[in-house]
Amino acid sequence: MIAYIIRRLLLLPIILIGVTFLIFCMFSLLSPMERLATYVNDPSTLKNPQAAERIIEKYHLNDPFPLGYIQWVKRIAKFDLGWSQAANQPVWDAICQRFPATLELVIYSIVPVILVGIWLGVISAVHHNDIIDQSIRVTAIVGWSLPTFIFGLLVLFVFYGILGWLPPGRLSTWAQDIVYTGTNFHSYTHLVTIDALLNGNIPIFVDALRHLCAPIITLSYVYWAFLLRIARSSMLDTLRKDYIRTARAKGVDEHTVIHKHAERNALIPVVTIAGMLIIGMLGGVVVAETVFTYPGLGFWAATAAQQLDYGSVIGFALLFALIMVVGNLVVDVSYAFIDPRVRLE
Amino acid sequence: MVNDKKPLLKIEGLKTYFFTENGVVKAVDGVDFEVYKRETLGLVGESGCGKSVTAFSIMRLLDYPGKTIGGKILFKDENLLKKNNEEMRKIRGKEIAMIFQEPMTALNPVLTIGYQISEALMMHFDISKEEAMRRSVKLLKKVSMPIPEQRVNEYPHQLSGGMRQRAMISMAMACDPALLIADEPTTSLDVTIQAQILDLMKSLLQEFNASLIMITHDLSVIAEIADKVAVMYAGKIVEYTDKKTIFHTPLHPYTFGLLTSIPRLDVEMKKLNAISGTVPDPLKFPEGCKFNPRCKFATDKCRKKEPLLIKIEEGHMVRCWHIDKVKKEMRKGFLVGV
Repeated sequence: MIAYIIRRLLLLPIILIGVTFLIFCMFSLLSPMERLATYVNDPSTLKNPQAAERIIEKYHLNDPFPLGYIQWVKRIAKFDLGWSQAANQPVWDAICQRFPATLELVIYSIVPVILVGIWLGVISAVHHNDIIDQSIRVTAIVGWSLPTFIFGLLVLFVFYGILGWLPPGRLSTWAQDIVYTGTNFHSYTHLVTIDALLNGNIPIFVDALRHLCAPIITLSYVYWAFLLRIARSSMLDTLRKDYIRTARAKGVDEHTVIHKHAERNALIPVVTIAGMLIIGMLGGVVVAETVFTYPGLGFWAATAAQQLDYGSVIGFALLFALIMVVGNLVVDVSYAFIDPRVRLE
Repeated sequence: MVNDKKPLLKIEGLKTYFFTENGVVKAVDGVDFEVYKRETLGLVGESGCGKSVTAFSIMRLLDYPGKTIGGKILFKDENLLKKNNEEMRKIRGKEIAMIFQEPMTALNPVLTIGYQISEALMMHFDISKEEAMRRSVKLLKKVSMPIPEQRVNEYPHQLSGGMRQRAMISMAMACDPALLIADEPTTSLDVTIQAQILDLMKSLLQEFNASLIMITHDLSVIAEIADKVAVMYAGKIVEYTDKKTIFHTPLHPYTFGLLTSIPRLDVEMKKLNAISGTVPDPLKFPEGCKFNPRCKFATDKCRKKEPLLIKIEEGHMVRCWHIDKVKKEMRKGFLVGV
């Protein structure tokens, strides 16, 4: 098991080199002026040849491709990702500032997606073809067929437009005053809901939760439906396996048959899908944050892309690539955890 | 075999049908047999003749849409078909245990051998995990598993085919069942391992005083282990007698065909005598005797009316209209005693 994890970890640098190389290739496709622009915080600099020359010199923008790549990676390692025009601050600072908001949203969405998705998938399979199964499946198909932006707009329309329950954004103005500028509120984790609880400030907690609900519903419904379908078919498949019959032949009760013998086997393909799903969810985050003007990474990246702010887009791409690589690693390790056959290979 | 003791298992008119979208499949259609204590019954037939379905009906492990719709399964004088699911669960593994054909797929790949054996014990006895594990090691020793202390912590994929089947057998014998049902336990093993497994089963049956229903299509397995034999064809028993009679004086054309289609080394053969035709489509069984399209003795009577399983002599029952013709054919010396 440990040897397996170490072997997977050894692959990590190789994958990272590949990822950065690809992104640098795309970066190199930009015109020299555009590349220069990613490091400039004041547009007037571009009109000043000496200032421009200094930046080109500093960032090795005229170096041949291989040397340019090495210099670029070195700077990334020092978190120097250029200037974000969309956020009007360095790209790294922009990421750091927005990351907690997105993390909060993703964490709260993943939990219902995975738990409810797998749980309902199993229930659906156990009650194969009866009324419970049918109603779960219909709900899932609706969710699965809805694009995130349509469903998001629908949620916004109903829960904000008509009912006024779930406002967009991350916090109400009064709460923002307390959280960002107030002196009595300490941001320990930058996850507002948790910080609110740590500060014992229940109104802020409720306010943050109200703002989170709509994007969570949007994100989790669409992806939940996807996972449910996988979990259901995998479970159905497993329940037909010979070893399930063996377990029953031993007199094992139905609860143990389902949860001990079937579920673990059925989860093997689900874990792979769930990993990809979490990664795919990052795409959904961009849409959901944009629909609900939720000030996270996705909203920032979408704005940056519209403004041709290459520096931000590259920073965003690098971050998501890193999340994807780590995500896949986690999937592989949990795979080995569930399936003893993987451990020993 | 005359036996005036009460049978351990007595099956009367068992009917198990599969209600599929294309129609009703009469997989088991009126099967009767008896198994006495310490006796081994061989259930022989081609694939799809209903022998496995008979076993699953006894265990109540039928897959959807299969359903037992008639007959009686009397085990220790109690009708298993009258029991509720929970009562039936307590019988499975404890009173009647089962061994399956393919030990690779019949063992759970993500659970250790030790867990899978001790689970059988913990389901039926009130013992601790540690005690169950200790007993599992003992059971593995009994089935001559090499280094059982280590094997209990291993997973099925780490074992060889023969070892997996040994683990499967120890699992079945864990709770000292009165009846063991083995569904082609040696089919997926190579011949040398087959012999070892059959020897092991024989000695275990003796040690545990258990009865066995051996389901197989392999007559050499029957020759090795069975006391009585029931030959099944298209959901019905066509011949039911003891082992000696089956091999020396079979009276049903199907049994006859099965025996003559075994290649032999002691008689010169130019061509293998295979039974012509194929197993009939279970949705469209022929009229009359189900074997008639493949039977060389078939007459119009066979095509119209199905014969009953009748007693020819003590302990020999046959379902055929033309026993005399078969007898005559046999006298020609077509079949030399096995």
